Amino acid sequence: METLRAVNVSKSYGKLQVLKGINLSVKKGEVLSIIGPSGSGKSTLLRCLCGLESIDSGEIYINDEPLIADRFSHRHLATKIGMIFQSFNLFPHMTSLENVMLAPMKVKGLSKRKAEKLAKELLIRVGLGDKINYRPSQLSGGQQQRVAIARALAMQPDIMLFDEPTSALDPELVGEVLEVIAQLAKEGMTMIIVTHEMLFAKEISNRVIFMDEGSIIEEGSPQEIFVNPSNPRTRAFLRRLLPHFGSSLIEGEKENEVRL
Amino acid sequence: MKLDFSIVFPYLPMFFKGAKATIEASILAILIGLAIGTIVGVGRVIPLKPINFIAWLYVYVIRGTPLLVQLFMIYFGLPSIGVELEAFTAGVIGLGINSGGYVAEIVRGGIEAVPKGQLEAAKVLGLSYIQTMWHIVLPQAIRNMLPALGNEFITLVKESSLLSTLAITELTMVGQQVRSVTFASFEVFIVVALIYLVITTAVSTLVRYIERKWQVR
Ligand SMILES: Nc1ncnc2c1ncn2[C@@H]1O[C@H](COP(=O)(O)OP(=O)(O)O)[C@@H](O)[C@H]1O
Ligand SMILES: [Mg+2]
Repeated sequence: METLRAVNVSKSYGKLQVLKGINLSVKKGEVLSIIGPSGSGKSTLLRCLCGLESIDSGEIYINDEPLIADRFSHRHLATKIGMIFQSFNLFPHMTSLENVMLAPMKVKGLSKRKAEKLAKELLIRVGLGDKINYRPSQLSGGQQQRVAIARALAMQPDIMLFDEPTSALDPELVGEVLEVIAQLAKEGMTMIIVTHEMLFAKEISNRVIFMDEGSIIEEGSPQEIFVNPSNPRTRAFLRRLLPHFGSSLIEGEKENEVRL
Repeated sequence: MKLDFSIVFPYLPMFFKGAKATIEASILAILIGLAIGTIVGVGRVIPLKPINFIAWLYVYVIRGTPLLVQLFMIYFGLPSIGVELEAFTAGVIGLGINSGGYVAEIVRGGIEAVPKGQLEAAKVLGLSYIQTMWHIVLPQAIRNMLPALGNEFITLVKESSLLSTLAITELTMVGQQVRSVTFASFEVFIVVALIYLVITTAVSTLVRYIERKWQVR
């Protein structure tokens, strides 16, 4: 079964067409990475997939049901899609625990006790068992993003969308967040990840999409995209991003050295 | 000429009674203003065009007309359509309605200062608009708003002196009464001003105390 499917999705802001007929699908348990230059429409695509933006044409299905975006409430979507933003977007007046507990209580109607138990488990799972009573301002960026992941997981979504989850982080904090995401992937979570962490994408993904100027230019296995991309634009993009592109590093011979 | 405050001393109990009326009227008007201002301020930002318009109109009219005229409309005008209010009631309601217009703009500013990303996160988590407002936006907005609200409360205390025009014996009115019997105009209004200063200082101290207590740790 396909957890998520987008058919011919288009979206414009005024005159600017940001998405030009996007087709993609993600099977249950699959990890799909989306790479591409900035401004190519990756964030807009994720925002459409989770209902934050309306689409001009095309269809989006979640578990084969059409996605209906409601202006006022996403209650019906919350247990289907989780979204992780580049900027964490934690609620600063609440502790980690309260951040994670809120939606299960208010949206799913869990009792306070149950929500607290769930939140603690999830915070432990992302390695923050000792930070449950800290506020976002007392946490590092990496810790904040892990709280955000726990918060999204608390709604037990069928699919998680990550929009450059590590782009706002200091380099030394990237690893801890990627580790959590990799762990989720291993546990079978269905995910779409927009990322500039090419080596991570290569390791974790079942499939990779290269997007440019609102279109999917190339789609394939990590091997196909990162080692042997057929499209010249994909090659140009990777060459800019990976100084060693085409040499042994990306081909995995030195993989042990670049492991995360 | 020398100032002689001893003339005023026998009237101090009257001043304190006036100050009490000023404080009572101000507190009641602040509460009314906060209630109206919260509703109207939220009305300015919710995604419902007709409500936005009504809220905008309220703020536009209140801020574009003099408080004194608003007070006269309520006290002298309403009886002609059968609504007769006691002077104190009319004054408090008038002050509250007026303050509501200014508080609404403060509330709107406080709400709009909450980063959009949090609203999006809340939306994706399935929280309804009202839940998002209540649990996420307003608690932060109140903190953003406190300094401006403090100013508004101080302004309100000072503007409550206009209630004297409705023959309410608040502080300024007491000043006029004492002046008319003692003719010590300067001394009387220096005392009146000092009492206002004590009240407004108390308000700003209280607001700063709350600000510090509510700071995000
Ligand atoms: N809300 C918006 N209004 C107008 N233009 C937007 C908006 N959001 C994104 N865009 C434009 O859409 C294009 C794609 O943006 P985005 O989806 O953020 O790309 P990416 O995430 O790949 O960097 C950019 O040109 C951007 O300026
Ligand atoms: Mg982006």
